[in-house]
Order: sequence, then structure tokens, then C-alpha cells
Amino acid sequence: MLVMKNVNKIFQTADIQTHALRDFSLTVNEGDFLSVTGPSGSGKTTFLNIAGLLETYTNGDFLLDGEDVGKLNDKGRSRMRNEKIGFIFQGFNLIPDLNLYDNVDVPLRYRGFNAKERKRRIIENLDRVGLASRLKHLPSQLSGGQQQRVAIARALATDPRFLLADEPTGNLDSEMAQGVMSLLEEINQQGTTIIMVTHDATLAKRARRQVQVKDGRVSELDLVNHRAIA
Amino acid sequence: MFNYYLKIAWISILRHWGLSLLMICAIGLGIGAAMTTITVNYLMSADPIPHKSKQLYYVQLDSWDVNDPFDEGLNPPDQLTFTDTTNLLNAQKAFRQNAQAQANGVIEPNDPELLPMSVSGRANTADFFTMFDVPFIYGSGWTHQADVNKEQVIVLNKVTNDKLFGGEDSVGQTIKLDGNVFKIVGVIDQWQPKPRFYDITTGAFNDSEDIFVPFSMIAEQKIGRSGNTNCWKPSGDGFSAFLVSECIWTQFWVELKTQQDKEEYLTFLNAYVEEQKAYGRFLRPMDNRLSNVMQWLENQEVVADDAKMMMAMSFMFLIVCLLNTVGLLLAKFLGKAPEIGLRQALGASRATLFSQYIIESACIGLAGGLLGLVLAYLGLIGVESLYGDYMQGLATLDSTMMILALVLALISSIVSGIYPTWRACNIQPAQQLKSQ
Repeated sequence: MLVMKNVNKIFQTADIQTHALRDFSLTVNEGDFLSVTGPSGSGKTTFLNIAGLLETYTNGDFLLDGEDVGKLNDKGRSRMRNEKIGFIFQGFNLIPDLNLYDNVDVPLRYRGFNAKERKRRIIENLDRVGLASRLKHLPSQLSGGQQQRVAIARALATDPRFLLADEPTGNLDSEMAQGVMSLLEEINQQGTTIIMVTHDATLAKRARRQVQVKDGRVSELDLVNHRAIA
Repeated sequence: MFNYYLKIAWISILRHWGLSLLMICAIGLGIGAAMTTITVNYLMSADPIPHKSKQLYYVQLDSWDVNDPFDEGLNPPDQLTFTDTTNLLNAQKAFRQNAQAQANGVIEPNDPELLPMSVSGRANTADFFTMFDVPFIYGSGWTHQADVNKEQVIVLNKVTNDKLFGGEDSVGQTIKLDGNVFKIVGVIDQWQPKPRFYDITTGAFNDSEDIFVPFSMIAEQKIGRSGNTNCWKPSGDGFSAFLVSECIWTQFWVELKTQQDKEEYLTFLNAYVEEQKAYGRFLRPMDNRLSNVMQWLENQEVVADDAKMMMAMSFMFLIVCLLNTVGLLLAKFLGKAPEIGLRQALGASRATLFSQYIIESACIGLAGGLLGLVLAYLGLIGVESLYGDYMQGLATLDSTMMILALVLALISSIVSGIYPTWRACNIQPAQQLKSQ
């Protein structure tokens, strides 16, 4: 479970103070598929970065699986990211020098699995996204959709409780986007909590729960009415 | 994880081979220059007889002019008069003692086919061979009795024995040296102590001698003496007058086993000088010294100041090379900011990333060290060809120097990698992930 209570994030430069999140309170339950929408600059990505422990917050409370994130040091945050969170990015973020096998291997290395276990997980997850036959290919030899599938395999390899997706279909054509969304839904049905930031209203509606971020504040959308209006 | 870091480093070096090569060359050049000068300094200042260098003492007595002190009064004369050497030798107060001077002569080979050979020589006493651990192939040095009896015996070095006897055991045979017949008692093996500590006055890095004869042969005029001679007052006419003059041209070494032996011998030297003062000699304040091998090399500044200066300059060059490497590493690691951000997102802590990138720096440093070894080898060949015989045998990279080169490269690259790695590890992952 992810719980944020009155979380604020203020970016401070020499002259300007920017409130990226204001009294942001949100609870994400086990097994949720949450879509986060909002206009550009509203604070969606800031929320996702804080949720993914990639960024600190100015004040407020943030509990991830009951653990107070604010009290963790760099090592503790890294361990929690590795064990509980999987990331999917708009730009795929695969390491171009490494083949698919080694890309999926990265978080497993940091987890400290032995070679046999790492191999099992890599093949299993690449197989799950339909790319087990291309282990030795470099990312540059794949299409955008395939690269995003590898990124999903990498995110799933550590069996995370939360999957954080930042515009996961933003760089894909509609056919590939549909494929990736179907895959995310399937993953969610198997028990993984998904938080997805998107601009695409159609994709957002496929989530079981929707929130909107505007001017750093979060508001829950009534999914039933929203769907009916749409 | 170490193997994983090595694998990642290898991939990164290959992927950015141009930048990596530049860094390897920068480190290699710095290490090459530093190792060339370090090696020369190291070999110049190496202990030539480590197991007993603290038991061998060079004797100095200040018999010089009271009105014009030797070395402006900073040091007593670097050699002794024949009178003092003979007196100290006859006193036999040390565990071992060796009186010596440089000599030279011409050998007339027994084989009429061979031309006469000009040879470098050393006139010394029997203890020379045991004191300085001279290795023999055939026979041995002569006995004390041979010194006392002024026997015409000779020890050849291997090269001379090879020339005269084709490398056969020549012990017991005779040769004619400067018209006098000498009986061969031993043939020494290859022996080239560097520095040639037993006689610095005639060149610390010269080769050891072709032949060795008893010290008494000089006084007996059976062999010509050579080397440095300094006199502070006229030596008089004739060789007999020269021998009893105040000219310094002989050296005297003693072997003393313990500190107490050394103190006792110094007391003896002081008593000797007091005695000589009674004869109107030693007019300067008493300044008798016993210097062990390393103290003597230091005192004689065997490692020249310009060699030290060269070493300092080469270290500065190494620092410049490392500063360049810092810049290149910074460019490389900051160029990897998106990957670093991603690795953080996937669970790498700053400490983990620091280890990974410092190992990459170390790998580049090791490659630079290997290149530096090759350059140092070429540099030493250059030094040898520039200075000729003076540097012969000094310009070699031994295993200690090779290990030192690699360790120096490793430390240098790790030190240069610290700042770029620290900068890279402090990258904010969120910004990098969004910018991809």
C-alpha cells in the first residue's frame, strides 16, 4: 500500500520557488491500477518520481508498504526501489551498450541473485513479453514497441509490488500502445499494483481508478460517471 | 559484483574506445616518464649489498691542510694516505679490513697469438673478497699470508679469464702483468655491483675490475696505480717519498659486526689520530668517521641532484597527465548521466555506482600502466644510449619496478577517478530519466 498525506514538493532556485505538489494526499491500495492524468506541468511526474523514491519531498508523510520513506537513507531507498518498485518510462530507458539479456539483468544484479536465478528470471520475463528469442540483440535492433516490452520485462524481473509507468505508450503508435496496455492490464490482473501517468484520456480510462493532478493538487475522478459522460 | 563491474567497465571502454584510448595514452605517458626517472633513481640509490651494508664501514680521517680544509670543512677527505691505510691495516683492529686502490696494467698473454691486453685492476687486501661477497667460479681470493709475504698472486674476472684461457679453470697457471709473473689463485664470476660501492671515488657506476692483485704490489711497483690522487702539500721526489706523503689515494674499509664494535673501532681511530698528532700530523680538529655503505653512498651524492630534479619534473608531468585524465573521465561519466540515473532507478545505491565507476577508472589506469611500462622501457633505452657506459646496467626494469609502475598507475587512475565518479554518483536520477 502506498500512502501520501499532505505531501508538498517545492523546487527552489535562486529567485523562484515552485510548488510542484501541494498537500498531496493519496492512497493506492494493493492491486490497484491507477491512472494519473493532468495538464503539462501539473505535477504528475513529480508525484511519480516521489512515489518511485527517485526524488525527495519537502514535507508531509509518505509510507510505502508501511515504511516511512522520509527516514530512509540512500542505501535504504535504493533497496526499496529494487525490491518493491518497477519503472517503465516513456523513452524506454534501456542501456544501449547492453543486449536484452544484460538489460534485464541490471536490477537482478543489484538484488544479489545468483547466476542461475538471474537467468531463470530473465528468460521467463522476456518470454512473457514475447522476446525470449532475441536475448543477444541490442536495443537499437528492436522497434519502439519491442523496446518498451523489454523495459516491462526488466521492471517485472524483480517481482515488484508496484509498477510505475510514466507515459508508457507516449512514444508508440496506437497499435503498439494497445499491445503495451494489454500487457499492463494482464500484469495488474496477476496482482501487481500499477500507477500510470498518461496524457491519453482513452488509455487512462482503461485503468480501474483515475486521479487527476492539477496545480500540484490531486483529485479523484468518479470513474462510473466519468465513463458515462464520455 | 566485482566481476559484473569488470564486465561493465570492459563494455564501456570498448564502446567509448576513442575517449578511453586518450585516457590510456595520458596515463601511459605520465607513468612512462615517471617510471623512467624513478627506475634510474631507484637503481642509483639501491643498496648494493643489503645483507651486510650496515656492517661494512668506510673509514675517513681528516689529515688535510689546517689552513685550507677539505670540502670547506664539511667532510673529511674521501680517501686516506698510504701511511694511514698501511697503519690501520697493520693494526688489524676490525673483524675484517681491506686496503685498496685502483690500478692498471698490461697483460702479456702466454699464447703468442694473442695481443697484449690493457686491463683495469684493483690492488686490495685478502679480506676484499669475503667482505664484499665476491663470487668465484674457480679458486678463491688469496690468503692473509700472501698479503704479508707480498706474494705475486692474481684474481681474474670472468671476461679476462675467457679471453686468456677460453673460460677454462686457470687456477695455478701464471700470467705476465707489466712484466712481472703472477700466479692465478681465483677467477670471479659475473660481478657488477651497482653502484660500485667499494670505490665511489673512481666512478660509482663503472664496471668492476678485470684483475685483482695484493695491495702491496703497488708499493712494490709490480703494478701501476691509478685513480684520484689529491695532495695538499708537495709529495717530494720519487715514489718512496710519494708513499709517505700526505697525498690521499687509497681507500680503507672495515667490517664491524655490532654497534659496540663500531664504537670501539672509532675509539681506536681517535687514539690513532691522537698518536699521529704527536708526530706533527692531523693538525685539524679531530673528525674521524665511519660510514656504512648506504651512508657513504648518500655522503658521496651517488644519486645526482639533477637526477632527483628530473624525477620531480616527471612527477609534475604525471600530475598534468592525470589532470587531463580527470577532465576526460568527467566528460565520459557525465555523458553517462542517463544510464547512471537509470541504474539508480533500478536499485543501485550511490556506493554501488561509485564502486562500478571507480573500477572502470582503475581498468583504464591499469591499461595506462601497461602502456607506461612499454614507454618506460623505451625511455630507459633512450637514457642508456644518451649516457652510454655510465648508465649501463642501470637502465633496466626489474620486477619491483614493473609492479611499482602498475600500482602507481592504479593509484593515479583511482585518484583521478574520484572526483568524476563522485560527480556522476550525485546526479539526480529523476531529471536524467525524464530527459532520455
